[in-house]
Order: sequence, then structure tokens, then C-alpha cells
Amino acid sequence: MSIQQLLNGVSLGSVYALIAVGFALVFNILKFSNFAHGGVMTLTAYIGLAASLFFSRWLSGLPLFGATLVSAALAGAIVGIVLERMAFRRIRNNNSPVIYYFISSITMGILMENIVTIFASSTFYSYPKFFELSVVELFHVNIALTDLLMLVFSSTALMILLWVLYRTKIGLAIRALSFDVNTANLMGMDSNRVVMATFIAAGILGGVAGVFLGINYTLYPQLGQLIVKGFIASVIGGLGSITGAMIGAVLLGVLEVTLISAVGAGIAPVFVFIIMLTFLLVRPRGIAGVIVQEKA
Amino acid sequence: MEYIITILTFTGITLIGVLGSYMVTGLTGLFSFGQAAFFSVGAYTAAVLVKDFATPFPLAVVAAMSAGLVAGMIVGYPTVRLRRDYISLVTFGFGEAIIALLNNSTNLTGGAMGLSGIPRYTSFWVVWLSVAVCLTIVAGYKYSKYGRQCLALRSDELAAKAMGINVNRVKLVTFLFAAAMTSYAGVLYAFYTTYVEPGSFGWIVSAEWIIIVFVGGINSLTGSVFATFLLTGLPEMLRFASEWRIAIYCVIVLLIINFRPVGIFGEFELSYKWLRQLGKKGAKAA
Repeated sequence: MSIQQLLNGVSLGSVYALIAVGFALVFNILKFSNFAHGGVMTLTAYIGLAASLFFSRWLSGLPLFGATLVSAALAGAIVGIVLERMAFRRIRNNNSPVIYYFISSITMGILMENIVTIFASSTFYSYPKFFELSVVELFHVNIALTDLLMLVFSSTALMILLWVLYRTKIGLAIRALSFDVNTANLMGMDSNRVVMATFIAAGILGGVAGVFLGINYTLYPQLGQLIVKGFIASVIGGLGSITGAMIGAVLLGVLEVTLISAVGAGIAPVFVFIIMLTFLLVRPRGIAGVIVQEKA
Repeated sequence: MEYIITILTFTGITLIGVLGSYMVTGLTGLFSFGQAAFFSVGAYTAAVLVKDFATPFPLAVVAAMSAGLVAGMIVGYPTVRLRRDYISLVTFGFGEAIIALLNNSTNLTGGAMGLSGIPRYTSFWVVWLSVAVCLTIVAGYKYSKYGRQCLALRSDELAAKAMGINVNRVKLVTFLFAAAMTSYAGVLYAFYTTYVEPGSFGWIVSAEWIIIVFVGGINSLTGSVFATFLLTGLPEMLRFASEWRIAIYCVIVLLIINFRPVGIFGEFELSYKWLRQLGKKGAKAA
């Protein structure tokens, strides 16, 4: 495998990492797989497109790209808030079993996909071309500029997230809540606010991921189904572990690029699936090795 | 009339799929996003066997169900012993993998173009006879030892284990049962529409089936049956607002989950006993 492919794989993996981490964040706290995250990505990707068309009157190049990212991230945060209020707040207050979260998140995912279909129809869109230059040469390796930006921005976003999680008070609160909800409440924490913060963070990550997916592929209402990559990355990395999700995602990206060049893009998902199954057979707790207990 | 019969036939086929989801989700509390993939496994296996290999139809049905079982085993065996989330994730991935496989084995399945020219062997009556049989089987299963064990492990897996229930085995058996039944529904579908394509078996279909189970009430088989009629009929009724119908449908589901979490029917089951009591009450009132 050439360095070229490795680089492509890593940059693809960094986008998958955004998806996987946004997904793992919610999983960490509420202990369910948030299928609505795909819907969040689709919705914010379209909002990002609208923003990029709007701002293109005044900006171009890197500032335009930045403006698009920021507006998509903001939109993601708002969508996160709405999602939490509409779909999960009441269920959480009722102390409903996990299956209700599931249904709620699936329904919200389908709903968001449909809203996009209604307003933007099911035609394909693509982002405007942000840069004149499309390929840069780095240490004798050609790398697509968008790939490079993806890598830079995704890793920055993830670094910021890690900093928030491990160095700030709200991050401490999120970690405490993911450890034990009841004790955290007893300590006087407002769990509603912390859950809200988590959904905002997940929404922001979803927004950034949505824009990158939109640039990398084209925009279509079923874009959110790429969330399956986030799932697979989480399984490989270990469900509920944030660093595990990152590692798993990068591995998945490299693996996919390799597989695509080896067996073709069409059949690659089958191999990825087989690899995931083997992983579950051999090491079900993933690379990070944290076992998440099913609550009795 | 023709139109109504067609809709009723499709409702029947969906109902069998929903029954499979009911077994997996309602009884066992697992979430399978791959039920539609089992559906496509059944549909394609039977269709290819009959069309390309001139297999007799009953034999093809058996082969299709076995294919569903094998697929169920591949997916189910590694995952039932893990946390429940894994089965959703893995079945989700399985669905995607099956679609990719169908899209890419063009010379056998026709790829994304779909497989057409399947002979039409099923009719309204065949479908509804199958529904009756499946319904009896599922109802029987619910009240059998296995069904009780499923309910026990759904509410509390640890306690069920402590009572000596082989949790993994029960889960796997139920999952396989549902997989075989869903593949059968797929066969009915393929031989009714005479055309199958990979695009129509995405995870959304599986999710819809689970939602139907939920709307009806996760503890109630009657609820699932009723909700199938309601929710497959509803899109037809809302046809004037065709763009919005799935959105409306989602909002209804959200309302039900938030305000009546047990579903429309709760624990209620339509039974002979209930009918008799209703009759007595009616007689008294009269």
C-alpha cells in the first residue's frame, strides 16, 4: 500500500471519526444508539449548502469554506437542541426503557430525511467549488485539497472536543453523567442541561461531518445513511469509547480505501461487514476494550 | 376493486414482515434493522431458483426459507451474546451488505436494474392464507414456553439468566424464526409483483416495521395487526398530501411514544374470552 492511499484513507477516516464520535457522545450518556444522528447530518449538510450559496456573494476560497462550516455547525447545534427537546426529554423524564429512545431516534431520523426531501426534492446537489487549486503536493505525495482540509478540520474539531471533555467543567459533568446518572443527579447536577450540552456537541460534530460528506460525495436526502460507517467504526473501536471510536474510524477509512482499490467500490461494503462480524466474534468489546454493561 | 385487492395483498405481505419484527422486537426486545434484508434474501433466492434453474415453486420456497435461516445464523450467532445494541448495528450493516451484494452480482440478480419476469404464483388468497398460518404460529409462540422466556429476558436479562433460562439460545431461536418467516414474506412479494430490485429493501423498511409494532403496542400482537392495517392504509388515505405523508406518519409516532408509550393497545389481546365477556355485558345492557 502506498503512502498516497494511506493518506486518503486517513482523511476519509477523519470524517468517519466525526460521525462516530458524535454518535458515541450520545451513546455514552443515554446508553442507546442514536439513529437520528444521520438525519442531523443530512439536514445540516443542506443548511451548509444554502449558507455557502448565500455567502458566496461576498466571500470566496477559504473564508467561504469557513463560513459554510460555521453555519452548518451552528445549525447542527440548534438541531441538537430541538432533537433533545422533541424526542428525548419527555421519555427521559418518564424513565422509559431504552427501546423507546431507539424508536424515537429512528423516527426523528426518518422525519429529518423527509423534511429535506420535501424542501429540496430528491435531486442531487453539489457544493460550489471552494478552491481553484484542487491538488497539493506534499512531500512528493499528491493529496486532494479537500482531503487535506477534511483531515485538518476534522482533527481540529476532535481535539477541541477532547479538550472540552477532559479540561472543562461541563466536560467533567458529561463524563460524570455518562458514568452514573443517579449519583450525578444526587450531587446536584442539572442533568437536563448536561444532556442538552451533549446533544449540542453531537449536533456540531454532525454539522461539520455533514458538510464534509456533502463535499466528498454529493448531496442527496439519503446522505444520513452514511451513519452506518460511524456505527462500524464504533464497533471496531469499542462502543461508547470516544478515543476508541476515533481509532476505529481511522482504521475503517484506511481499510475502505484499500478494499476499494483491491475489489472495487461496489462490493467493498460486503467485506467491511465481514470484517465487522469477525471483530464481534473475536473481540466484541472493540479495540478500546471497555465493556458497557447492559443495565438490569 | 382490483385496486383494493392489490392494497390488501400488500398489506398481508407487510403483515407477515411485521409479525417477524414483532417476534424480534415485541417479544425479545431486540432491534433488527435487517428484517428487510431477510425479506430480500427470500425474494431473490426463490426468484433466481425458479427463473434461472426452473426449480418447482414449493421447493424454491423451502430453499428461500433455508437461505433466510442461514443468513440469520451468520448475523445472529456472533451477536446475540452481546449487548442488545450490537444486534441493531450488525443487522443494519447486514442490510447494507446485502444490498451491495445484490447490486454487484449483476449476472445473477440483474444488479440495480432489478430482476424482472418472475412468474406470478401468489394471489390474494395465498397471501392471506399464509397470514392466517403465520399469525397462528406467532400467537402460539407467544404463549409457549419459548415466548414466555422471551418476555422474561426482555424485561430483565440478568434475572432471566438467574432463573435458568438460556438467554442466548432463546434469543437466537426467536431471531431465526423471524428470519425464516420474513424470507417467506419476501417470496410472496417477489411472486406477486413479479419484479424485485435491491433499492426497495433498505433499512427504512425494517424501521417502518418496528415502528408499526410500536404504534400498536409492544406487548400486544393484536396491536401489531391493527397498526399494520392503520399504517399501511394511512399512506393510501393521505395520498392527497403525498409529499408530507411520511412526515405526518413520523409525527404521529412521536406523539404516541411521548404521550402513550405503551402503544395504542397496551397489553390488550383480542381473545375468545374477551369477546364472550363483551357479549355478556352487551346482553346485560340490553
